Amino acid sequence: MASQLTFTGFAWKNLWRRRLRTLLTLCGISMAIGAFVALVGFSRSFEGEWMRLYSSSGTDIAVVEKNFLNSSLDESLIVKLRAVPVVEQAAPMIFNLMDLTPEVNAIAFGWLDDTYEFNSLTFESGGRFHNNKPEVILGALLAKNLDKKVGDALTIQGSTFTVVGIFHGGTALEAGAVILPLDQMQLLTSMQGKVSGFHVRLRPAPAGEAADHYLKRAQAEIEAALPGLNAQLASDRASNNQFVDLAHAVAWGTSAIALAMGILGIANTMAMSVFERTREIGILRAIGWKAGRVMLLIEVEAAVLGVAGGVLGIGVGWGALQLLSYVPKTNVLVHTSLTPSHLLQAMVISLLSGLVAGAYPAWRGSHLSPVEALRHD
Amino acid sequence: MTENPTAPQLEVRSLRKSYDDGRIEALRGVDLSIEAADYIAISGASGSGKSTLLQLLGGLDVPTSGQVLFKGQPLDQIGLDDYRARQLGFIFQAFHLIPTLRAIENVQVPMLATGVDAATRSQRAEALLVEMGLQHRLNQFPNELSAGERQRVAIARALANNPSILLADEPTGNLDSVNSAHVMDLLRGIQKDRGMTLVIVTHENDIAHAAPRHIRIRDGRIES
Repeated sequence: MASQLTFTGFAWKNLWRRRLRTLLTLCGISMAIGAFVALVGFSRSFEGEWMRLYSSSGTDIAVVEKNFLNSSLDESLIVKLRAVPVVEQAAPMIFNLMDLTPEVNAIAFGWLDDTYEFNSLTFESGGRFHNNKPEVILGALLAKNLDKKVGDALTIQGSTFTVVGIFHGGTALEAGAVILPLDQMQLLTSMQGKVSGFHVRLRPAPAGEAADHYLKRAQAEIEAALPGLNAQLASDRASNNQFVDLAHAVAWGTSAIALAMGILGIANTMAMSVFERTREIGILRAIGWKAGRVMLLIEVEAAVLGVAGGVLGIGVGWGALQLLSYVPKTNVLVHTSLTPSHLLQAMVISLLSGLVAGAYPAWRGSHLSPVEALRHD
Repeated sequence: MTENPTAPQLEVRSLRKSYDDGRIEALRGVDLSIEAADYIAISGASGSGKSTLLQLLGGLDVPTSGQVLFKGQPLDQIGLDDYRARQLGFIFQAFHLIPTLRAIENVQVPMLATGVDAATRSQRAEALLVEMGLQHRLNQFPNELSAGERQRVAIARALANNPSILLADEPTGNLDSVNSAHVMDLLRGIQKDRGMTLVIVTHENDIAHAAPRHIRIRDGRIES
């Protein structure tokens, strides 16, 4: 059976002639794409979990200071908040990130024992804590990480608590969370009389008023009642809080650096390849290949590297997320769900990386003089 | 621009080519006319300018002054790439096969530039290699072929797009006498059977004298 040569087959053969170099280049770009898939996937998943955290509990609005990380409000403001006509329920809360053991981090919430936010939790054992008692409830994942069950003692920052409930939350963030009575959390965090913010569930919108309009009106009314504070929509809060912003910034920043390294790797490989094949490019030009076709050949080679690196990189990224989801230090924050749009974005970025990296070598190769190229040793 | 049916197939007018800012003059005013189906040998000493003339005839390089015309049209006014792809077949002393491609794939490379469909590419390449007596070597890589076989693959490649002109630069320069004779027999047969124009640059007198028309170049000028 005689071989049939295709344009892409020719490009592949050119890449495959230097297998080790091609494989090393693939490793480089796949690591870069893997970093993108893992980090950006994580940060998006993190944002999504925040969104679900609000939606599963039925929170419509979060009332906070402008600076989320250091938000500290007077707990007594709850009285004014509850008096706003559109507010059906308002729950004071403290949010923190704690090292429960040297190996285990956890998101920690301080709630009142009658908050509506309990509605989103399903207890697999035990039940709610009580205000003013050293009791905690644990997300199922955290309980597993800590090897705790109902009735066990848990020491948090030198204070001992009794585990009174283990729950499944509506979100992965809650699954890895510890929730304490608000007063106990205030003691632990030296925030007596203070809270991080208030979660608000609104009354149903009046008939005839559009949901968007109602939410904006509710925001305005709450901010008027509590001057100087922000009443943020839950969806805005999920995507704009500083934890999510930080996660996005770190993810994109690290990915950008990794991608730059990957692009340089492909560019180096393609430049070396073009240099080594100078005479062959001269032959192609001599037998009638147009400069554009030579350029296309080299760009296709670079694109193949990019796309193959992308496919491998998605595997690397998925593997990294899997690994992190098993490590107790990170599994409360890391989830392995990768959306099709994220994978498509990874493939587009890897393809563009290849094309960008191949652009100069392709231009250089296509502009070689056939005579000079044929003389090249 | 249109072809002139009465014009020579290839014509060279006052062709000059210099390098190194004019310090080296490879061709110093060459005039030459080549008719369709001519068989011409160009000989001369090393550095005489014969390979430069072939490169200019083949549109691989541009002259410093003067013109090369194909059927009355100056090469600089017709697409050089199309001219090389469709009208010319190049044969080089060093074969210049692509090492990563099998013999049959090497023959298909020129057809990638001319839009020949995949099945036709493969069939035509196979037929050409069979014509070259290489039916048993279709799937060998160049490094698995003898020098004579490599040059026959290169000839098949030069014929891939059914050109009207074959330009051969020292086609037997890397071959022993047996293979040299075989390759020259093939080229003469192809030229005769297909009515192609064959221009051979050679420094071997017996090959030069065997051509119906023999041009000697000395110091960048046609001597005879």
